[in-house]
Amino acid sequence: MSEAMERPKNVLIVGVGGQGVIMVSKVLAQLSLNHGHDVKQSEVHGMAKRGGGVFSHVRFGPEVWSPTIAEGEADVVVALEWAEGLRWINYLNPETGTFIADCQRIVPPFACRNRFRGGEAAYAPETPEEIMEQVHAGYVLDATGMAERLGNLRAANTVLLGALSTALDFPEDDWLEVIGHFVPPNTIDINIAGFREGREWALAGNKRVAENAAGLHQSHVVIHQDRVTTTVEITEEWCKGCDICVKLCPERCLRLNDRLVAELALPDLCTGCRMCEWLCPDFAIAITNTPVREAAE
Amino acid sequence: MTRTMNMQGNQACALGAIEAGCRFFAGYPITPSSEVAEQMAAQLPKVGGTFIQMEDEIASMGAVIGASMGGLKAMTATSGPGFSLKQENIGYASGAEIPCVIVNVMRGGPSTGMPTRPSQGDIMQSRWGTHGDHPIIVLAPASVAEAYHETIRAFDLSERLRVPVIVLIDEVIGHLVETVDPGEAGQEHVARTFASGPAEGFKPYAITDDLVPPFPRPGDGYRSHTTGLTHSETGFPTQNPALAAAALNRITDKLVLHNDLIERWRVREADDADILIAAIGISARAAEAAVTKLRAEGIMAGLFRPVTLWPFPEGALLGVIDKAGAKALLVPEMNQGQMIREVERLVAGRLPVHGLNRIDGEAITPADIIARVREIAP
Amino acid sequence: MKDVTQTPDFDINGYIRLDQMPHFLCPGCGHGIALRALLWAIHDLGIEKDKLAVVSGIGCSGRLSAYIDANTFHTTHGRPLAFATGLALARPDLHVVVITGDGDSLAIGGNHLIHACRRNLNLTCMMLNNEIYGMTGGQVSPTTSADRFTTTTPAGNTEPGFDACRLAEAAGASFVGREVTLQVLALKDLLQRALEHDGFSFVEVISDCTEIYGRKNDLGASPEMMMSQKASMRPDAYRNTVDVPFRPNALATGILAKVDRPEYGQALRAANARQQPAGKG
Ligand code: SF4
Ligand code: SF4
Repeated sequence: MSEAMERPKNVLIVGVGGQGVIMVSKVLAQLSLNHGHDVKQSEVHGMAKRGGGVFSHVRFGPEVWSPTIAEGEADVVVALEWAEGLRWINYLNPETGTFIADCQRIVPPFACRNRFRGGEAAYAPETPEEIMEQVHAGYVLDATGMAERLGNLRAANTVLLGALSTALDFPEDDWLEVIGHFVPPNTIDINIAGFREGREWALAGNKRVAENAAGLHQSHVVIHQDRVTTTVEITEEWCKGCDICVKLCPERCLRLNDRLVAELALPDLCTGCRMCEWLCPDFAIAITNTPVREAAE
Repeated sequence: MTRTMNMQGNQACALGAIEAGCRFFAGYPITPSSEVAEQMAAQLPKVGGTFIQMEDEIASMGAVIGASMGGLKAMTATSGPGFSLKQENIGYASGAEIPCVIVNVMRGGPSTGMPTRPSQGDIMQSRWGTHGDHPIIVLAPASVAEAYHETIRAFDLSERLRVPVIVLIDEVIGHLVETVDPGEAGQEHVARTFASGPAEGFKPYAITDDLVPPFPRPGDGYRSHTTGLTHSETGFPTQNPALAAAALNRITDKLVLHNDLIERWRVREADDADILIAAIGISARAAEAAVTKLRAEGIMAGLFRPVTLWPFPEGALLGVIDKAGAKALLVPEMNQGQMIREVERLVAGRLPVHGLNRIDGEAITPADIIARVREIAP
Repeated sequence: MKDVTQTPDFDINGYIRLDQMPHFLCPGCGHGIALRALLWAIHDLGIEKDKLAVVSGIGCSGRLSAYIDANTFHTTHGRPLAFATGLALARPDLHVVVITGDGDSLAIGGNHLIHACRRNLNLTCMMLNNEIYGMTGGQVSPTTSADRFTTTTPAGNTEPGFDACRLAEAAGASFVGREVTLQVLALKDLLQRALEHDGFSFVEVISDCTEIYGRKNDLGASPEMMMSQKASMRPDAYRNTVDVPFRPNALATGILAKVDRPEYGQALRAANARQQPAGKG
């Protein structure tokens, strides 16, 4: 038995709650099981309710001990949502790993944000092309769009499975058989078609980015300075003391003063995230983020 | 080559509108005015205009006001129940000063009434159909030719004074076919005065000497606000009593100031009439025939016919009465007595005012009038 | 790809009538957030204020137009879509946006809504749904949730409500979406897609009426109402789940329908052109 055979395969499947991360990983786990592998699958989906990230580690091989994949060890990262893929990209093996992502984006207001000052606060500022340069092999495909054109959005996951199949050694028919068990009977044909489309799309190259990836990937959270200073301006005459900014500031750094007007109580905690500005129904808050240049520059 | 042609009253309203520059029509099918919409649907595209049949009467009035807000001359046509449904939006056009023309072909009421039978039951509704005090102009042509020319004048007045104008005809005139001479081709008609000049500090409802503020056309840089709420000169709502009164008085006063443009009436044998008949529309046509016959009999009858029904030509009527030394007035109308109230109010007991009313779905005949005049003849 | 490193500065002060501020809405009224999202979308699309016409009806939602620095028309109750239809046909060069409410567009103006959906004229209709007639003091509306108290349902609401988006879609709207105010960025994106859409687009914004509806039904202050509104929504982007539907009883958010079909204004103008006398145009 070659060394490659002995080392377990590591596949990390990530997405946003409700997208079907668990379904994708179940298909893979079942397929591996059918091929006589030892399979470990561990997942976190507690955040699903809040629209947060969901991930599933699937490891299979002759013998698997640890249920989780360490950073830099994943052979494949499959992302059902673009930003979630980027969040986990450091788990990918930089030398040999394959990155597969649907270019659809789901932007929750609070998620995908590093809230600390100076942290990367953008929704996935990197372009698919930039990511392709960093990986050994990669596919950014419009799985959702392909599925839509086939007539069923839910087939996006099988499109991704098709792409994933090119990075693993299982025969195509075995994939299709397992998929048939996991999708509703009346959608089997569409899912098979989706799988084949995803597979053919990925077989056509080592690195591919869907033509419309740019259109779909339009980030609106665009704070990208390394460091900023934030000023919080509150127009007192317009503030009606509704408490929205106070309660919904992620850092809780605002409060209502004794005249029931909002004020910045804990300026040091403010990350300049602008949530208060965006949610104030009375347009009473203006946030200004000014980039601070590093002394070293 | 003469442009004279035979046409139906409803068709005359449509063709007059197009001649006047109307380029938008929104309507809803209703008897007996549907031919106006059908004509507009056929004719407007030929002149680059837009016709739309809306989902209901209210929507068609709204769409007409919307198109006029965009700067187009716009019209709708309706009858009876449809006219009732349009009233709220007519009030909007009146208060927000959006030019528009409404053709109302009167039919028997109340409610569904007698859809195919004539009536003059909307004389009061055309003046007071919408709630609140408001300016409005109502023109009451009595022939197909007049329907054509008064529809043109309706647009001229509406655009000039920023007020809704109603062309009020009855089912008989609407469906009558007569000869119309449209006059010379290529005549100029009144164009709305659009605001020009600096946008900075522009007041869309400024009180000027003319009392009619220029219209800020969307896209011209004024970015003004239009509302059905009582508004100050800025266009924004106000509850300040002085500003509210000034704004509401201005829109009423503008019609008084420009009464020369608005007022129009016709007389026949009125100079020496002992009995003056005041009538509009098809009833006035019957009265004309009656006057001729009565004169032949030696009864000194005469006719006063308001062409502009509202504002009622009060000075004109009183002047005609005085000049003739009329001894009695007769108001024949196809309702239970609507215009007579206005006439009674004006003469204020100086001479007796008699009514002649029909509400049975039949037009008043010359014979009806002759008989009534004989009864009341002094 | 869009340059994501630019600063996201959207200064709302450039799009509102500062001399009319502060606006007259109650504290915590979600309509203000929706207005920001709308103006932000307009800004990002680069729509000129001079070419923007906003038509609103009557009610709290209807008052929003007065605060927008554009060509604004505050029309009659339930009728903004009718006015806007005339305006958009008369002036295809304008971007016409309708702001309406649940009572304005689903009760008194329901007929205009379904026909606007059917016709597919290029308009964007933003409906602010706060489940109540706020301006008149808190009466039951066509979207009031079951059992809720209003001044006209003192024993709790017994009428079922409309799902406005399903109504719009069934009536033929070629773009339908829904979002909550808390998701202001997603809302802004949704409105942007709606504004870009060629045809009739309908966006329902779940907004909160804290002062009247919230208070009467003990729904908490605005932040709590906004959070619970979000919790009861099912983002439509999650619909490709295979197992069980995500939050089965929740309303879907996101783009719920998008179909390509002929835009009414263009179709009408083409038909009109065919009627023009030969040689002209
Ligand atoms: S959200 Fe706006 S109005 Fe409400 S308390 Fe904060 S600053 Fe004041
Ligand atoms: S920008 Fe506003 S919401 Fe964000 S941390 Fe600062 S105060 Fe809080």
